[in-house]
Amino acid sequence: MPLWERRRSALVLAGLTVFHILLISIQVPRGAGKSLFERAVFFVFSPVQRAATGTVRGIGSLWNGYFDLRGVRAENQKLKKEIFFLNQDVRFLEDRLALDGSEAELRASLAEFRGSLVAARVIGVDSANPYQTIIIDKGSLDGIGRDMPVCDRDGSLVGRTIRPISLKESMVQLITDKDSSVSVKSVISGLTGAMTGRSTDVCELRYVLASAQGGQAEEELKTTGFDKIYPPGIRVGVIKKVEKDETSPIFLRITAKPYFRFDRIDVVAVLTKGPGGGG
Amino acid sequence: MRETIAKDALGAFLGTLVAVAVYSVAGAAAPALLVLFNAFTVVVLYFSVRRGEVFGAILGTMCGLVQDAFSLGVFGVAGLTKTLLGFWTGYVSRRIDVAPFTRNALFMMVMSVLEMILWVLLTAAVRLESVNFHGGLMLLQPVVTAVLGSSLFAIERWIRSRKSRGS
Repeated sequence: MPLWERRRSALVLAGLTVFHILLISIQVPRGAGKSLFERAVFFVFSPVQRAATGTVRGIGSLWNGYFDLRGVRAENQKLKKEIFFLNQDVRFLEDRLALDGSEAELRASLAEFRGSLVAARVIGVDSANPYQTIIIDKGSLDGIGRDMPVCDRDGSLVGRTIRPISLKESMVQLITDKDSSVSVKSVISGLTGAMTGRSTDVCELRYVLASAQGGQAEEELKTTGFDKIYPPGIRVGVIKKVEKDETSPIFLRITAKPYFRFDRIDVVAVLTKGPGGGG
Repeated sequence: MRETIAKDALGAFLGTLVAVAVYSVAGAAAPALLVLFNAFTVVVLYFSVRRGEVFGAILGTMCGLVQDAFSLGVFGVAGLTKTLLGFWTGYVSRRIDVAPFTRNALFMMVMSVLEMILWVLLTAAVRLESVNFHGGLMLLQPVVTAVLGSSLFAIERWIRSRKSRGS
């Protein structure tokens, strides 16, 4: 009997183990870059995810749509869609007004903003930690590229698009991910810092000098635009706690809570034009 | 021989599709569910007990790599842990009787715990960071995963017994 026959199980295990160790070893020095192989796996399996979520939602909506009042439901959906886009417009206008821009500037930015929104459904969350990434049902065919800001239905910041981006699906890095960072400013006291995630439901506001004045609980945080990814003035969250950092005398330890909530991010808006919007 | 491997690979691919579907539906229903149980682990455990170590290893590779592709973690960590999970689940289940529900659940829980320990250690080693246990909620994952895996066998047995009674 040949060796393959006698030791089939052991050889399969050894082969697969070596394959994985090589796969991990190749990536580790490169950091978080997505390999072609990983992108290919995402490309193949993300439509399955989309189909599964779509089927469940479809069955649910078939039940409601068929047995409920169909006309009212269709109208309701249309109105919901309109409200979604109007909400984004209102938030955007409010945020821009708060920046004290001139009327001409405001009109110019609104004209630029209109038509740059892509509404997307969330079809999946990160398999290892829900606070890291989500997957949406819009991809490169819908004009989605890397580093595009993503907001929830109330116009609050959710995160940004990252690779892998498939034809009809993309990955979004949430602001709660520990590798995420957003340049923010508090609206009352003007504390400026980088809001980074902890891969939990709270974030940290980093690099605020211990000598800085102000900063109180429930003070709102908005994007500054300094990071060249998120446009200025988007609502991000609120300060929860400000305390002295015993380990670092230079900076304050500030805990912040993002506005977006998992139970309200079934639909999101991707800003396809803006400072991020790369390919 | 080639036919068997091709058949195993195709079966593993279909098993992976089932895992992706379960994971997607659970994530869409409530993201917290993904902390409580791992759909990919349930599928690997179930099919490894049914089909043996080689199939378990191939299915583990596929499910693990898909899990990695849907996450920001290092690509291959879940692939490696699930390959080992599939292989050893299939191997051990061929040598001890894991048919009774309690023994089956206990066996699956032990395998899930070992997989989680390996995943935590590998993540810590590769990314040089500790894993977020979601306030201890993640520690329930092996228990819920084991109960779900054993329930699949219980349901299968129940359907079979009804069929045999009917005929």
